[in-house]
Order: sequence, then C-alpha cells, then structure tokens
Amino acid sequence: MAQYVCRYRKGGELRWVGHLDLKRTLERALRRAALPLELTQGHNPHPKLSYGPPMPMGVTGEAEVFSLHLREALPADNVKERLNVQLPAGFEVMDAWIVPGYKRRETFGELDVAEYRVTMPTAVSVAEVQERLQALLARDQLVVTRRGEHEEREIDVRPMLLSARAEEAGEGRVALHLRLRTGSHGGAKPGEIVALLGACDPEAARIHRAGLYAGAEAPPPEAPRPQTALRRTWGRPRRGH
Amino acid sequence: MNGQILDFETLLARVSKPARYTNGEWNAAHKDGGSVRARFALAYPDVYEVGMSHLGLQVLYGVLNSHPSFLAERVFSPWPDMEEQLRAHGLPLMSLESRTPLREFDAIGITLPYELTYANVLNLLDLAGIPLRAADRGEGDPLVIGGGVGGVNPEPVAEFFDAILVGEGEEAILEIAEAVASPDRATALARLAEIEGVYVPSRYDYVPEGDGPLGRVLPWDGAPERIPWRVVEDFDRSFFPTRQLVPFLETVHARVTLEIMRGCGRGCRFCQAGMVYRPRRLRRVETLLQQAEEAVAATGYDEISLLGFSSVDHPDIGELAERLVARFGPEGVGVSLPSLRADAFSVALANTIQQVRKSGLTFAPEAGTARLRAAIHKHVTEDDLFAAAEAAFSSGWSRLKLYFMIGLPTETEEDVLGIADLVHRLAGFARGALRDRRGRLQLGVSVSSFVPKPHTPFQWAAQDSLESLGAKQRLLQQHLRDRSVKLSWTNPEASALEAAFSRGDRRVSRALECAWRRGARFDAWGELFQFARWQEAFAEAGLDLHDYANAALPTDRPLAWDHIACGVERQLLEREAARALAGEGA
Repeated sequence: MAQYVCRYRKGGELRWVGHLDLKRTLERALRRAALPLELTQGHNPHPKLSYGPPMPMGVTGEAEVFSLHLREALPADNVKERLNVQLPAGFEVMDAWIVPGYKRRETFGELDVAEYRVTMPTAVSVAEVQERLQALLARDQLVVTRRGEHEEREIDVRPMLLSARAEEAGEGRVALHLRLRTGSHGGAKPGEIVALLGACDPEAARIHRAGLYAGAEAPPPEAPRPQTALRRTWGRPRRGH
Repeated sequence: MNGQILDFETLLARVSKPARYTNGEWNAAHKDGGSVRARFALAYPDVYEVGMSHLGLQVLYGVLNSHPSFLAERVFSPWPDMEEQLRAHGLPLMSLESRTPLREFDAIGITLPYELTYANVLNLLDLAGIPLRAADRGEGDPLVIGGGVGGVNPEPVAEFFDAILVGEGEEAILEIAEAVASPDRATALARLAEIEGVYVPSRYDYVPEGDGPLGRVLPWDGAPERIPWRVVEDFDRSFFPTRQLVPFLETVHARVTLEIMRGCGRGCRFCQAGMVYRPRRLRRVETLLQQAEEAVAATGYDEISLLGFSSVDHPDIGELAERLVARFGPEGVGVSLPSLRADAFSVALANTIQQVRKSGLTFAPEAGTARLRAAIHKHVTEDDLFAAAEAAFSSGWSRLKLYFMIGLPTETEEDVLGIADLVHRLAGFARGALRDRRGRLQLGVSVSSFVPKPHTPFQWAAQDSLESLGAKQRLLQQHLRDRSVKLSWTNPEASALEAAFSRGDRRVSRALECAWRRGARFDAWGELFQFARWQEAFAEAGLDLHDYANAALPTDRPLAWDHIACGVERQLLEREAARALAGEGA
C-alpha cells in the first residue's frame, strides 16, 4: 500500500466546475486510469481521497492538492502520467510524490494560507489601488456580508487579510497579490477583497490561486514554490484539531 | 453595467451552475468544422442536467461525430437566469463545444422528449435568432429538424420545424445529414422529404373537422399521405455510444446506460412507447458485455444501468446480470435496473445485481384493483406483488416505491379506494415481514394522472376533469394514512397541458406561441409552471384546452395524427379500446 500526494492545476473552463463536481471528475478519471485504488470498506465502497481547501467557483489554481491511496506502490511519476492521460482539459497533475510513512488519511488541515493573484480590468490607477489597499490594511475591521442558504451573515475578514499589494498588469488592468487565510477554520474569499476595493466588478476579475501554505502567523517574506512549501510541512507533527 | 457588452466569461460568473454552459466534459467531441459537409447543433429543450441524461442525444452525437463528413455540437435550454443575461447583453445562444452561435450551423436538431418542453423549443429558436416558423426561414437560416418520441404526434410543433423524424434516429440521422449537406434549402427539403420516416410539415395542410383534434393532415401534390414510423432493423448491431459524455455537473442519471432492449411486448393500453416502439428487439448478451467493457473503460462511471421499457423481460437477463456482476463487482462498479416487474423473479434478479449498492425497489401496479388492471392490460396480480414484496423484505430491502395512475378509462371510486386498500395491506404485510426492522419501512406511493396518448387504444378516451382528479386525490389522501407511506402526486394541471399537446393539432401551435410570449418556460418544472398562463394562451388563440384534453373523441372520425403510421393500425387500436371498455384482457 502507498499514499500519494498530487499537486494539480485547475484552469480554463474547469474553473466553473465546483469542488464537489471536481471530486467526482477525479474519481472517474482514476477509474479510467485503472489505478489499483484502495477502496473503503462497507456497503458503498469508494476510493480513499482527500483534498486541500476548496476553491471558490470561477477561480483557477496551480497549487491545489489531493491525496490518494493505492493497493500497490507504483512509481509516483507513473501515477501522475496515467492520471493525466485521463483528466479533462484544464485539470492536470503537475507533480506527484509518495508520502513517506503511510497515514490512514491526510486532511491537509495545516494548509491555512492561500496566495491569490487577481487581475482586474479597471480604470483606477495602480497607485490608487495601492492606496485603497493600504487603507483596508489600516482598518481594524472589514465587515462583509455572506449569503448562506437561509440567512445573511456578517463576517469580519480583516484578520484573514494577511498581506496585499498591487502592480501594473498592462492593457488597462491592475494585478493584486493577496495573501489570505483559508481553510476550515475560516477564511476570506478573494472576491470579497476585490469588492471592498471597488475598483472593478468582482465578476469581471480573474482570480488565480498561486500558492497554498501552512502557517499563517509568520508568512514567509518571499513565496516559496508551492510544492516546496508542501514538502517542507510534510514531516511536521500534526497538531490536534 | 446593464446594456454593456460583456464577455461570456463574466456572464458565467452571474448565473447558477455555470458548468451548464461550458464544455470540455470527458468524451466531448472537438472536430474541425472546416473539413465537414454538415454541421449540426443538437439541442435538448430542457436544462443541461436533464438533457445529458438522455440516451438518444448521446446516440445521435456519437453517430454524427463518428462520421468524417459530419459534426455535432450540443446546446441545452438556458435556465431563466442565463436567459436573462443573454437577452440583457444581446448575446445569441451558442453551442457548448465551440461556442458558435446556433444560427451559424447548417441544422439544429431538436429532441422532442415530452410535451411540457415545447415552450422551451420556441425559446431555443428565439434565443438563437432563428425565425420561429419554418415558413419565415430563408436561405441563411439553419434547417430546424425535430425528432424523438414527440414524432408520434408532431402537429402541435409542426409549423416550427422544417422537418421532423418520425421514429428511430440512429440510422436515419446519417441520411438526414446527407440531405442537410445540400447546396441550398429547397434541395435539402426535397431530399429530406424522400427519407423514410421524415415528415416535412410545409408539404401538408391541416383541415380541421370540428373542435379539438378532429381533422385531417392532407399532403400537397406528391407528398406521401402517411409517414411511416422509422424502425431500426438490426438493433443488436445498430450504433451504440460507448464513449458516453461524462458531465462535470451532477446529472439526473450519471452512469453507463446499456440499452438492452427496445420496445416492449406487454401492450399496456395506456402506454404510448410500448405501442409505437415495435417490434420488441433485443441486444445479445455478448454484444452488451462488450459494450459494458468499452463504456466503463471510456467513462469511469461506477454504475451500469440496464435500460429497456421492461428490462426484466429480456430473455437472457439472468445471465447478463450475473456476468456483469462477476466482471465489474470486484471493481466497485454496480449494476442497476430502472424499474422492475412486480414479481419474485425480478426481486431475485435485483438481489443478484445489487450486491454492490442496495437502493430502493420500484414497482408499477398502475391500478388498485384487478378489474382495472385487466382493463388497462397491466398484468400484475396481487399474488405477484406480494411475492415480490416478500422477496424484497426478506432480502434486506425496506424501501419500496409504487407507481399508480388515477383517471384511467373505466375507473370508478372503488378503483381509487383500491389503491389505498392495496397499499394498506402491503404496509401491514411489510411490518410483519420486517419485524425488528419495521421502523425503517418506507413505502413511496407516487400517483400520476392518466394522459390519453395518440396511437394507443386509449387515444379516444377523455382525460378526467381537473375537479374529478382533485377529488380523487383528496379521496386517496383521506384513506391512505400511514406513517410509513409517503404519498406524492403529479400536478393534474400539468397533466391537462400534457394531454392537450399530446392530442394537439396544428392549431395548438398558436396557443403554444402565445404562452411562450407570455413567458412560459420549463413547464415540466413545478416551480415554473403556471396553468393560468396556458389557459389564457389557449383563449387568446381561440381554442379551448379542454377540447383537446377532456373530450372523449368519436372513433369514427379522422384524427390530427392519423397521417403518422406507427405500425399499429387504427383498427387494432379500436378493437383494443372496445375490449378495455368491455373489461376484457387481451
């Protein structure tokens, strides 16, 4: 038995495919790839898969992760290649590696910081956007309204906005680099920050998740390559949840 | 931002389930349009999740795209939120695969799967910027070609189509594509008219002979008087799509579908599909195993559904089920049957195949008394039903679903109460059989309203009035009180509209257009269906919906669909109708 972590890219039209639908897509691709999947026991056996924090609808990403279990230890590159042949356009495993020491389940719970690159079509200058970002960062609270299934909730996303900067992207566009807290313990959505900035229609912004990291308290001054970040945190003892 | 031209991507951010309008699903075809002779947009007049569960669409898509000279892309009815965006930004309806505006295709092939989608057919054409009526189309417009079970009586939509295929499509579609490849519209229409099973409505006139669907469809010079229902001769070897499209979105049926049998030898007198899809044809076990092998490998689905009007009647069903389970069970791929015959054999079969997953079982006794079941020619005895239930409960099922109909011809109050009585006795029996597991007993009782359908022995029968159907529903509700029973209904008003279209003539197309202009969309969706709108539309068109739905039609007068020759001749239908009224079986 072996456990693998795959880092994947979600791009193109696939960004309109939600997290649950993406999971189903992967399960079907795994069956087409005829990999020796380890299945759960019970009435409804299914492959043992876990995923990193879900992305909002419409967002592309290149640092996304899932893990899978196989009944036999195949070379990681072989798993990657066999899977990529069966994945639809826009869904690509960039890197796969075997987890040293078999774990029953990996939840990726330690991934709690996401780095986003947002491209906004806007008439607002990059300097003005930068100023507005500074103003947001200087505030104690940034309250946004989220629509749940039954009610609207107000949430302060200021603690989840870790860093932000703007740069010129050409052709009437400004790029944002946002570092946001994410994951199951609460997080900010990049669209919410775009809406707070008021520089473009949030629906017209192109949002890309460039990295996922573990450890929010001391964000590294320079983003390490996503896969490195993951490998680095891999051996770390798990915190109790 | 209203009024401003937006790119489609931004628009996707504003609608629910944007993946309904994107492409790139596994097995989607991406062909170069430059090298083909005819380009089809295959349209399904309902939302993506429903249309993608329709096998017919996948068959035609597969046939056309396997041919080097033809190309097919897909389009589905946009949900109202997307329609609003398209109209607000002046964007035309586009195909999924290459996002090409529909009006740039050579032909739009529209499936007519059930009557309550007809308003969506008009909406598709309008959103595509194609004139609604065939008579208003010209050289630059695509040919609009219909098909599917709606071909049984194409009259209510006839004037919106350049041609309609009456009958089975997997062979005819290539002949149709050759005709579509003609250099001009007139030649194409002439060639379409020569294809067996193709009805070109513009070559016919309708001569009404009274209110309701009494009248004749008469050919212009040279056109055949009757259109024969197209039948695939060698069903076993006919095209079957093993590279089935795998949607991203959760669809109604996400599974490999194997069509094991076409047609049904049972002859239930209310059942249109059973009457017109004849003769009953089978696929061989070896063919089906091969298709299952290819389809599972090509899709990665974890379920194989054995499709047929009465799959259990396939003579080799036992062998097929055992071999599929032996082959795919170890891989976690399950096998399922859409519905079961109510007898112990069926349950034993379900037991064989549902080792992987145990879902509920579904039986359709249709009527509550033996007398009425005989009159409608539904051969289910109480002994069979109780034997099926016993087998089900003793092998671990505790969920059963039962289908019944109210408003059937010759039905009396006794028959309606018979449904309640039968369900009560079944529930009591189940509690005894389940004993310690009784808390889990669930009996789903689904009651629909009878709709008279063309080319069945009941085509002349009146649909019950809304008042009568309502009274029967209340009667059942009063008499069917049991904590394990969950009673559900179809809306009688929707059934009335279904009946009016099912038995509609060409004049009904006026009401259809009025209703669409008044905003009718997605009438099969309870939350969007408004009966008042349809009543107003019929009135505006100078028609009475009830003349079509609720009139008992005389058997000695011509009917608006007599020009469609479905294989079962009118004399036989008349004889069967007389037998039903006399309370005889076949």
